[in-house]
Amino acid sequence: MDAAAPRPKENQGEPLPRIDARLKVTGQAHYPADLPTANIAYGALATGTIARGKVTKLHLDDAREVPGLLDIVTYGAMDKVDKPKFGNVGATSIAPLHDRTIFHDGQIIALAVAETFEAAEEAAQLIRADYEEETPSASFDSPGTKTIPAAGKSPLFKEDVKAGDFDAAYASAAVKIDARYSTPTQHHNPIELFSTTAYWQGDQLIVHEPSQNVTGWKVELARQLRIDPANVRIVSPFIGGAFGSKGPMTPRTAIVAVAARRLGRPVRCVTSRMQAFGTQTYRAETRHRIRIGAGKDGRITAFAHEGWEVTSRPDAYVVGGTSATGRMYDYGSVLTHVSLVQADRNTPGYMRSPPETPYVYALENAMDEMAVALGMDPVEFRRINEPKKEPIGKKPFSSRSLIQCYDQAAEAFGWAKREAKVGAMRDGDWLVGMGCATAIYPTAVAPCAARVRLTADGDVRVQCGSHEIGTGVRTVAGQMASERLGVGIDRVSVEMGDSALPPAPVSGGSISTASVCSVVLKACDAIRTKLYAAATAESGPLAGSHNEELDLADGKIVAKGGASARVEDILKTMQVGAIEEYAEFAPKGAPPEALKKLYSGMPEFHGGEQDEDAVKYAFGAEFVEVRINRYTKEIRVPRLVGAFAAGRIMNTRTARSQLMGGMIWGIGQALHEATEVDRHYARYVNRDLQDYLVPVNADVKDLQVILVPEVDHAVNPAGVKGLGELGNVGTAAAVASAVYHATGKRIRDLPIRIEQLLV
Amino acid sequence: MSQPTVLPRHGLSRRSFMAGTVSAAAAAPLLASAAQAEAPTASQSKLRQPVVTSLRINKQVYELSLDTRTSLLDALRDHAGLTGTKKGCDHGQCGACTVLVDGKRVLSCLSFAVMNEGKDITTIEGLASSDGKLHPMQQAFIDHDAFQCGYCTPGQILSAIGCVNEGHAGSEYDIREYMSGNICRCAAYPNIVAAVLQARDETKGA
Repeated sequence: MDAAAPRPKENQGEPLPRIDARLKVTGQAHYPADLPTANIAYGALATGTIARGKVTKLHLDDAREVPGLLDIVTYGAMDKVDKPKFGNVGATSIAPLHDRTIFHDGQIIALAVAETFEAAEEAAQLIRADYEEETPSASFDSPGTKTIPAAGKSPLFKEDVKAGDFDAAYASAAVKIDARYSTPTQHHNPIELFSTTAYWQGDQLIVHEPSQNVTGWKVELARQLRIDPANVRIVSPFIGGAFGSKGPMTPRTAIVAVAARRLGRPVRCVTSRMQAFGTQTYRAETRHRIRIGAGKDGRITAFAHEGWEVTSRPDAYVVGGTSATGRMYDYGSVLTHVSLVQADRNTPGYMRSPPETPYVYALENAMDEMAVALGMDPVEFRRINEPKKEPIGKKPFSSRSLIQCYDQAAEAFGWAKREAKVGAMRDGDWLVGMGCATAIYPTAVAPCAARVRLTADGDVRVQCGSHEIGTGVRTVAGQMASERLGVGIDRVSVEMGDSALPPAPVSGGSISTASVCSVVLKACDAIRTKLYAAATAESGPLAGSHNEELDLADGKIVAKGGASARVEDILKTMQVGAIEEYAEFAPKGAPPEALKKLYSGMPEFHGGEQDEDAVKYAFGAEFVEVRINRYTKEIRVPRLVGAFAAGRIMNTRTARSQLMGGMIWGIGQALHEATEVDRHYARYVNRDLQDYLVPVNADVKDLQVILVPEVDHAVNPAGVKGLGELGNVGTAAAVASAVYHATGKRIRDLPIRIEQLLV
Repeated sequence: MSQPTVLPRHGLSRRSFMAGTVSAAAAAPLLASAAQAEAPTASQSKLRQPVVTSLRINKQVYELSLDTRTSLLDALRDHAGLTGTKKGCDHGQCGACTVLVDGKRVLSCLSFAVMNEGKDITTIEGLASSDGKLHPMQQAFIDHDAFQCGYCTPGQILSAIGCVNEGHAGSEYDIREYMSGNICRCAAYPNIVAAVLQARDETKGA
């Protein structure tokens, strides 16, 4: 078997190729901006050029002279539309065309609509604004920012976790560190551009837009437009990368819908790469102070993590990663505090492992510093501090295979050959360094609905309003149905990405595989129950058998003793051509209104640290080798090994690919990615893929993913822990530790660039 | 208003790009100034006139009436209905729009459609044979899971074919280097290299 299709181990599913693979390699996978739409008009955004103030006048005359111009949607056009809201579904409360206040650079000031894309773009470029400009506050340390405590500002971040008496424990610790870290602004930059295509059929509004939350958007868009959600349909069959950026709906969606209504014809607006930096969300820059105290035996007695995060003026976006870092090790005492710094910026939003990427980077870099201070091997240091219960609520972990991950990854990596002394390993002109770090991601699950149909011909159709953003959820949903209904995967079709389908939660927080597979399992089992009832009825071919003794395989119901009955024949006796089941899944312990909230587009997550019985996390260990040229300080990461345990693995192929992609994201976090913010103008400077650096093929050489077997029945019926966001947690800290090992330089501010090693 | 004059206030547009440069020069973005984006010139109004353009795409001829500013990418997607070619940046920076023109890989967002008259254009839709058999490179991408979301995939596959035909697939190192113009944000890179290696020899004969 080749590397892309790892041989399944215990509790791991077959590495089936993606069921939509052929569509994707032939150009037949239709992303929202590809969907054929007749008589389309093209929209182009005009965006503002100041970060704080007011638009006093718009100059539209030049734009109006462009041949082919059809309309300009600007101030006034949205007066009969409600403003967007900030929250789980909406990206921001900033309503760009509702009032003339400018909250950030690149804010939408108008939408030009024309017969052709070229004319629309030309017209948008000609729209000019006069401003009453105020001095903006760009980021940390800018005059005019306001710092507030984060706890309680978001329903997802209720309190600063703490345990024991940190101050006393830290004061009396034999070995201690006190260090500050920072992570930069980052933009998701999925390769698919953000776009909205909207058209009206009578009262019905159809929107084609890449979305990680079609049900939530349907409800929210209907609220803004003051129409019945039943009259709104969001269509997003394939999504060209998301990483959180297509989770919250932005104000553009309603603006394009209004343009289509004014014009009485479909309007498509594809946001340019540059405009996306200001009109979508992003990962805000963070700062951290970490203090760790330990005894000479390496046992941690005191841990404090303070975090600062930038947000916009009107919206309190919080990630608050102390919830995870505060539960990582057996600390003895814990003190945490998170602050928000309000600046003149667009509102940040979820980006792949939003809390863990920055906060675990800081923690794991500090853990390496502490191991150095103790003169201890960094793996051994983590082993010594492995907790039996999480330190905040003293609850057990539903499962925790971190040490197994460390052991397997260390062996595959050859950690034993590492010379501990800084700068001791060289290869010609290259300084060699090795580092490691822990990955952690909360295991959550949310209510979900699905419809599954089995026909007499043995065809299976799965319908679920989840989203194929590249995770492979369409494939694993089909795989679950194939296994439970005993048909080949080639007989299964899976429909997703449409708000007309049974509702699913947002494809975020690594919940999709767990939520979707749990409900598909439930629907398939309902079909099994019906088939079994008919087969074991008094006159049935398997009369006398009990359900527990039956299974479905190869289109047959097979009893333990060897007797069998064809599904086709059972359906005949039932006098039906197909069995179709609509199932709803609610997580254990979910309140009675959980399913109602699913239909209103706001299902709640369960799991992580919220459940009564246990805390639920997936873990991993990552090892990296860096090579740094002794003269030029060029930094390469030629080798990475990651071992991860995430409960049941539905498909080792898609799981490995996601973890691999995550680890490469980690290289980007460590060495490449940063959106530069002009401190004077509060403006993003490097707004394209030439200057916003992301890893390319030449940045990756040898990468190994190990899927460590783990069984966890507590997390959800499918036994699945999400892993789409696990892979990129910790990687940057492993790289920073390896850079220290190679050079003796501890880089605490990401990304690590040549210039930091030259000083 | 206080703005530094060196910063482009409106970024790059195809319009300012055209006004400021004679041919598709990649250095243009940072040089396009606000002044160039001001009043339209006489020559530009002519550029807006639709021109009937004949393009040979996947061995089929398309007669399209195009604004001369239309990129090959937009001509394929919006006028020929071939949406397999993807727009990822419209700046020649991501590789998603890669097609083959006379067998060589070209970024279709940086090429005006009218510049491609008389040339053979191959897009992702033109790779599989009429009986549905996939090109070896397409099959290799499936076998090695060389994509996740699939959006950059058409560009990756055409770039991979171009890379092999250029003689730049001799080693893994070469493949990584010569495939680095195609960004895969899902980061399927090691799988892409494995796919190119698998399909390399068959592609040479295809």
